[in-house]
Amino acid sequence: MREQVAEIREADLAHLESLWEAGLGQAYDFYRPGVEPRVALAAALVETAVGLQGLGGPAAAAGELLIGDLCLARASRLLADTGSQPLQVAFARAVERVSAEASGDRPLTPVRDLLGAAIGIAR
Amino acid sequence: MIGGRRLELSTRRGTEFIDITARLQAEVTAAGLSQGRVHVQSLHTTLGITVNENEPLLIGDLERMLERLVPRHGVYCHDDFARRVNIPADEPANGHAHARLLLLQPAHTALVEDGRLVLGQWQSIFAVELDGPRERRFAIQLEGEFGRPDRERDRDLVELELARQLLVDPESVQVPMRRLVEAGGKRLRPLLTVLASRLGPHHDPLRAAALAAAVELIHDASLVHDDYVDEAATRRGRATVSASEGPGRAIAVGDYYFAKATRIIAELGNPRVTSTIAEAMEAICISQIDDVNLRGYFPGDHDAYLRVVRGKTAALISASCLAGAQLAGAGSEVAGRLCRYGDLLGIAFQMADDLLDYSEHSGKPVGTDIRQRVVSLPLIYATEDGRVGGRVRELLGGPLDDPEVREVQALVHSSGALARVGEEARGLVAAAVRELDEIELNGVRPLLVDIARSAVDRVT
Repeated sequence: MREQVAEIREADLAHLESLWEAGLGQAYDFYRPGVEPRVALAAALVETAVGLQGLGGPAAAAGELLIGDLCLARASRLLADTGSQPLQVAFARAVERVSAEASGDRPLTPVRDLLGAAIGIAR
Repeated sequence: MIGGRRLELSTRRGTEFIDITARLQAEVTAAGLSQGRVHVQSLHTTLGITVNENEPLLIGDLERMLERLVPRHGVYCHDDFARRVNIPADEPANGHAHARLLLLQPAHTALVEDGRLVLGQWQSIFAVELDGPRERRFAIQLEGEFGRPDRERDRDLVELELARQLLVDPESVQVPMRRLVEAGGKRLRPLLTVLASRLGPHHDPLRAAALAAAVELIHDASLVHDDYVDEAATRRGRATVSASEGPGRAIAVGDYYFAKATRIIAELGNPRVTSTIAEAMEAICISQIDDVNLRGYFPGDHDAYLRVVRGKTAALISASCLAGAQLAGAGSEVAGRLCRYGDLLGIAFQMADDLLDYSEHSGKPVGTDIRQRVVSLPLIYATEDGRVGGRVRELLGGPLDDPEVREVQALVHSSGALARVGEEARGLVAAAVRELDEIELNGVRPLLVDIARSAVDRVT
């Protein structure tokens, strides 16, 4: 676990450190193989945000909503840092899709599938 | 050229300075003059025109100066009716007024850029009555390029782009967001983006409109989430998304438009712009968390206030300016100054917004910040006041029902905190405008100055 955190810059987890043990770290492990750390972290943050904000389920409390917003914003910044336009577009489309499904009371497409495909597009 | 116009006014005193800036601006706007000049000429020999600062004490100084230099009761041959011929029956003794006009001008030409009078920060145009009260007239001619000012075209383009972007979205997100977008709003951020985008060699109005629309969507998405967090029932006079659609949908709508705006910006293919906006979004989120956490330490202090406001409000305003400039390939000096202009303007804008919480005429519910225990500068200053600060702190430490909120408001009013905040906001606007000095702004300066001033003038 420490090795994984070590390859992530401190600033990239700022204000979100408590999420690591609460599932962000596991999500990071899932995306990390074959993917550079900041992209894996971006994917893990998006997945965490969707869970925290309760998309497709009961609405999150205000505190979780704001932390989820920060996860999404941090993911955007990490993707901006990569300079990869296809990756930025694909991730944005994934979030658009699940949030549109949630707002339309439709079942959510699994986020891991969408993000996995997004990472694949950019490869 | 448009001629034959007359500006009429009724004066009320013997010597009187009447600010006619707004009326001249109205003439320019009504005529649709976008670039050129407006000529104003007095049609009287005892009515002058001048440019100076509209500050009441200074106006008194100027009136006394006229009296000192050319006394009302001095000796003027013009007033010796026994020596004059062909005198009308109602001829007044007004030699002093004719003489005073020598110190002023009978006419003035003002420049117009982008549909606005070009005036310095403290300049106002005055009609100067020297022999009132009377009915007076100025002749006005306007010359230059007529048509819709660039600013209106820019605004229309942004509105069209927003409508176009929303049109293709699923109904479940489109309808609530369209309700919010169509309810109005100042469009401060997209307007700044479009203006800043004119300052680089690669200015492209359509790409600028796309970026501006994305910036507005980010702002609106953050409002959707804010309203849920603050449990607000109305926004821009309509039910909030959270109140009308429920919290679950409000969260999804906000997320959708955060993501969509991010995608629009990514598709512009300018990495610097993408990074600028991404960093601003991050700053907004961090400060919102900070803001909510600080509600436990209400009302906070000046440093905490600035930290929150810089992120919550100023970050996106500043990024709007910077990203617009970056999109057009503006130089680093221009981009940097616009960024600082936006930062200062954003802080001033939030201070003015704080003052709205104490204004019965703002159209916003009064006392909301107090009830929600939002970090607000008038409250911080009121708690620092030696006379009422203790009582304000005591009230803020307990339950805040209507009587307590009313008492806090009254104490804030009596403490002078509102004047102090207004003064600080105006100082920040002046600093923001100074950032625009010494850089080439391609005719955009008057608009940027106007935006900065009106951000604070709407309240103070």
